[in-house]
Amino acid sequence: MEEKVVVDVDVINKAMKKIFAVILLLVSMNAYTQDSTAVYKKRVLENIEIDFLTSYYTQDGNNAAVTGGIGSEKITDITPTFVIAIPLNDDDVLIIDAGISAYTSASSSNLDPFDKSGASSRDDGNNNSSNTKVVGSPWVASSGASQADSWKSLNANYSHSSDDRNTVLSANISLASEYDYTSFGFGGGYTKLFNEKNTEISISGKVFLDSWQPQYATEINSYIEAGESLNNGFFSGIPILDQNGDLSVKSGADSWSPINTTLLDNTSRNTYSLSMSFSQILSRNAQFSLFFDVVNQSGWLANPMQRVYFGDRDNYYIGEPESIPNYTSSTNKDVFQLADDIERLPSSKFKLPIGARLNYFLSERFVLRTYYRFYTDDWGVTAHTANIELPIKVSDKFTLIPSYRYHEQTEADYFAPYEENLSTQEFYTSDYDLSAFSANQYGIGVRYTDIFTKFKIRGKLGLKNVEMKYSKYDRSNGLSSGIFSLGVKFVLD
Amino acid sequence: MRKIAMLIIMASAFTSCVAVKEYQMVNINDPDMKLTANKNNRFETNFQLYREGAAGANGGKGGGGCGCN
Repeated sequence: MEEKVVVDVDVINKAMKKIFAVILLLVSMNAYTQDSTAVYKKRVLENIEIDFLTSYYTQDGNNAAVTGGIGSEKITDITPTFVIAIPLNDDDVLIIDAGISAYTSASSSNLDPFDKSGASSRDDGNNNSSNTKVVGSPWVASSGASQADSWKSLNANYSHSSDDRNTVLSANISLASEYDYTSFGFGGGYTKLFNEKNTEISISGKVFLDSWQPQYATEINSYIEAGESLNNGFFSGIPILDQNGDLSVKSGADSWSPINTTLLDNTSRNTYSLSMSFSQILSRNAQFSLFFDVVNQSGWLANPMQRVYFGDRDNYYIGEPESIPNYTSSTNKDVFQLADDIERLPSSKFKLPIGARLNYFLSERFVLRTYYRFYTDDWGVTAHTANIELPIKVSDKFTLIPSYRYHEQTEADYFAPYEENLSTQEFYTSDYDLSAFSANQYGIGVRYTDIFTKFKIRGKLGLKNVEMKYSKYDRSNGLSSGIFSLGVKFVLD
Repeated sequence: MRKIAMLIIMASAFTSCVAVKEYQMVNINDPDMKLTANKNNRFETNFQLYREGAAGANGGKGGGGCGCN
């Protein structure tokens, strides 16, 4: 009996060994099959890639929209951003894009130009703080809550490529917020390659469901909060001057009041866009693409921070009477004109931009990159934009990239400069971004590339490239800006 | 619309050209030949979105996500 049990155990052991052997064989065959497949199906993305991107932007001009088309447009902005591309498997890639844009703005600060530490810090000369006059100026940055802010954004994009790499499906989601604006967006795309990957057609859709947390010009907001009275709240005890610098009455038909005390009645602002593109390889050295967007926006499309002054209404001021004749001069540091209304624009906008790119590999040293866009919308803006870049491969690691961009546009139907809109109009703005102008932008960039990622941080994070660029942008209506951008790409081994 | 249709027809005509084989795409695959804006240009595109009345058809946003146009 005991011998039988020992024999049975031996049989079981032998059977188990066979089963293990079969399992091992199957596992190894499976592994071999996977390896074989890997030979034929290249991963869409081999390793995790990390981009650190940042920029420093400055601008100045004389047509700030927050102060009705006149005043300082000084802005500085810094934007640290990380983009991380993660291969989830052979076919799928997840891209996380997170960034901050931290800015200071003279124009936005003048939402409240009478802030104590701004222009109004001027006193009457007798060192008695109680006698500090309330003054303001569209040319002096105030230091209210709106003088600095940050825009924060987080985007996630997932893409799946088919085994033959001829079809790509993608989906994305985005969140963004700043102190007076939040945005939630989502979208999806479909890309098809054919003709031996010489031709590519892509279609994508995006939806942004945005909303305002509206901030208003302080005089309009205070007037409404005080029950439409100039004798209560902010205006209590503050002299209001007429165009001649004389004291104005604070009640009746000859006193200042905004023409409209109904502000935002709808805080939503939605954008729906459909994009199509067609790309074609023309030869071993040339390829081009066409882009076509259809964009529809609805909701509150005006910016509630932006003032408007009408040419057919009397003007009223707070500050020094002797500065009123010089109101539109940057020498004015101590008088501010009370707004007639906030900017008002239609609740829908239809945009139709069409773009094209043509790239040509001129030689081992030069590549020509060109771009053109035609834009039109139902607010009356028509624009042409052209861009040319000429990457020069100075060595196998360094590329110099000079560029030039030209933009011209017609003005929106609702635009008029400071004091040139009329109160009889339904829609009006003095935002010079919607005016007629042309703009020239000159840029120079340099890129260092190391395809072998020899330089490593902590032995794993290989530096793939570093790119720096500076661009100078000048608009024909006086706005001038400069932007320095830096991009560093790492590959995780 | 007629112009757009013409553009699409012209673009389709290119597909009838002899295809460039994958092993002939050394120059086409150069990073500077990409038919998209350089990643480092995203901040420029962003300020242009604020400072100009036109946007879109460049792979960036045509609006939404910011209190600009």
